[in-house]
Amino acid sequence: MTTRPPGIHWAPAVLVGRAARTAARLRKRGGGSAVPGLVVNKLSPGFLGSVLSHFPEGLVVVSGSSGKSTTTKMLVTVLEAHGKRIFTNPSTANISQGLTSALLERVSLTGRIDADMAVLEMDEGHGALLSPQFEARTVVLTNVMTDQIDRFHDSEKVLAYLRQIASRATDKLILNADDAMLMRLADAPPEVEESPQAPSRNHHADASDASDASTLQSLFDEAGPGPAQAPRGAGTPTVELFGVSEQVLAALPRGLGYAETTVARFDGGTMVTGVSGRSASIAFDGAIHEVGLPARGIHYAVDAAAALAAARSLLGDGFDAAVAVAAISAMPAVFGRGEVVTVQGKQVEFVLVQNPASFQLNVDELDEGLDQVLVAMGSDVADPSYFWPVDASRIGRARIVTGSKAQEMALQLIYQGVQVDEIEPDLAAALDRFLALPEPERGVKTIVFTADPMRRTRSHLGLAQ
Amino acid sequence: MTHRILQLFPELTNVNGDGENALALARRLEWAGADAEVVPLAEGDPAPGFSPAAVVLGSGVDSALERTRDALATLRGQLTGWLAADVPLLVVGTGVELLSRRVELPDGAIDGLGLVPGEATALPGRVAGDLVVDSAWGRLFGYENHGRGLTLDEGVTPLGGVVRGAGNGTGSDGIRLGSLFGTHLHGPVVARNPRFAMALVAAIAGDTIDAYAPGRADAVADAVNAATARRLDLS
Repeated sequence: MTTRPPGIHWAPAVLVGRAARTAARLRKRGGGSAVPGLVVNKLSPGFLGSVLSHFPEGLVVVSGSSGKSTTTKMLVTVLEAHGKRIFTNPSTANISQGLTSALLERVSLTGRIDADMAVLEMDEGHGALLSPQFEARTVVLTNVMTDQIDRFHDSEKVLAYLRQIASRATDKLILNADDAMLMRLADAPPEVEESPQAPSRNHHADASDASDASTLQSLFDEAGPGPAQAPRGAGTPTVELFGVSEQVLAALPRGLGYAETTVARFDGGTMVTGVSGRSASIAFDGAIHEVGLPARGIHYAVDAAAALAAARSLLGDGFDAAVAVAAISAMPAVFGRGEVVTVQGKQVEFVLVQNPASFQLNVDELDEGLDQVLVAMGSDVADPSYFWPVDASRIGRARIVTGSKAQEMALQLIYQGVQVDEIEPDLAAALDRFLALPEPERGVKTIVFTADPMRRTRSHLGLAQ
Repeated sequence: MTHRILQLFPELTNVNGDGENALALARRLEWAGADAEVVPLAEGDPAPGFSPAAVVLGSGVDSALERTRDALATLRGQLTGWLAADVPLLVVGTGVELLSRRVELPDGAIDGLGLVPGEATALPGRVAGDLVVDSAWGRLFGYENHGRGLTLDEGVTPLGGVVRGAGNGTGSDGIRLGSLFGTHLHGPVVARNPRFAMALVAAIAGDTIDAYAPGRADAVADAVNAATARRLDLS
């Protein structure tokens, strides 16, 4: 590794970061979490990589189009249940400024964090940009889905990003065996690409790409080069697989939602052999385990299989299946993912949809004939066209469609035969009216939202972010 | 009679939701009182044994271009026949490219079907964002996301002139050739642009229905487009 080890030379960066954090908090209470990271990344571009690369038991990186938050939380939970002290990042801090800010919360003046291991969720594009700066003991890749096409253009570009992240794995590469694109990484072990610092400059996306990832790239460029291309870790990482059985896949009318699904199922590894409501059967080491899930849906079962595969490989002989299964089964619902909250004395279920595949999976899990649904699409969806392949007809009736993309969402719902009672782009007004409706005759009040309205909704309702 | 809207290879060409224009056409026919259904044709399926009311071909990822071209090539005879019979053919993005003579790629070019008199050539850079086109059906709004443009042969009529965005990369967008309508406006161009949709529905069903009666969805589409025009500062 060419990253600088921890030491007192990082003290100025840490102090500047803390000062920036204080300033940001004075300016905006509870806000400004990306600012300290931005400042430190600019002043000391090697800081993030140095801290990440010097945990006693190494770094684990979780990335992929969807499921990375849940997988990360599950893995952390299992490792902690085995007595490990873990540093992790909140899912809202999975890009580099946020990561650095999260590190600054815990880091000593010498750039060390008092934890055994780091388990970090990374955004695909930002993770690829950061990849030259870190070396990870284990990389877990969840899947490749059609996602944020305005930024990523197509799934090939996402795969190119993930390939770069995977190239930093020294020990284990944990892959979704059902994802045909990820399995290309298993067939041809990822090599460091010609230009690992510029994932946005492959032939699918040129320098004119105005994504936030390339903005970030220019930040690194201005700040001077990061460490020179780090040499490859010792040896090629071993590949471990997780996925679903033939029977599970056959029972899914729309499949798993990956950009490409493998033709044949795999044997061994960590395999979901059954799923029913909030419980899944997951087979590994010759036994089938019953695992409770934080929400309904096959994708949560696959996330659990990914976390169990990673935990088994990280803990080795220390892995205790009973402890791991109990830990995952006891997890509370993840924010906005089938989470039921009580607001103003009323039960409300939150359903977060991050991309077309998760929209489809989550809509398919809704109870039929719900009579109070609010749908919110926000500015995080720059181009709603690619949500059209999602068949949202199961929603049946939307009392209010809201968010800055309310009209575009409503247009899709109307064409798909959903009754749309009202279109109200003002989210706060829509939420207040929706909550004021009398208790629903069937089911609970259900809010289906994309990431940006999820944050605004939580903030408007005074819920933890 | 049921109007069957043929959706070509949606598993390869619905990345941006373009294939859903088939649903939008079917819905508009139903709203006007006609029977309609979307008939998807998957790669490897035998050619349909019926003459469709309209055909929708969307856009896919570059890695699937050759596969899609090969699938289309099995329908060459049908496509030619449908165009000769004035069956409306709505084609978007890489769909138009694959119907042209040639598609330029970073590592060489591939041949298209040659039904569209032109070639797909690389733009100076990838474009992603709003695309606004002035056409025979008024101002069309939508999004584009592509790295290649379309160079039409001399004298070939585009779908319209570009007001915002890149389109073909030559100041115009798409192609209009007989009953073929090609565009870079991806996603639900039919739903988003009611007047264009009405013209297509009229071409499908003629005077048997009132294709020009606006519905509630059209007021929503108008609101989306008015907001876009304000955001883009278009008068």
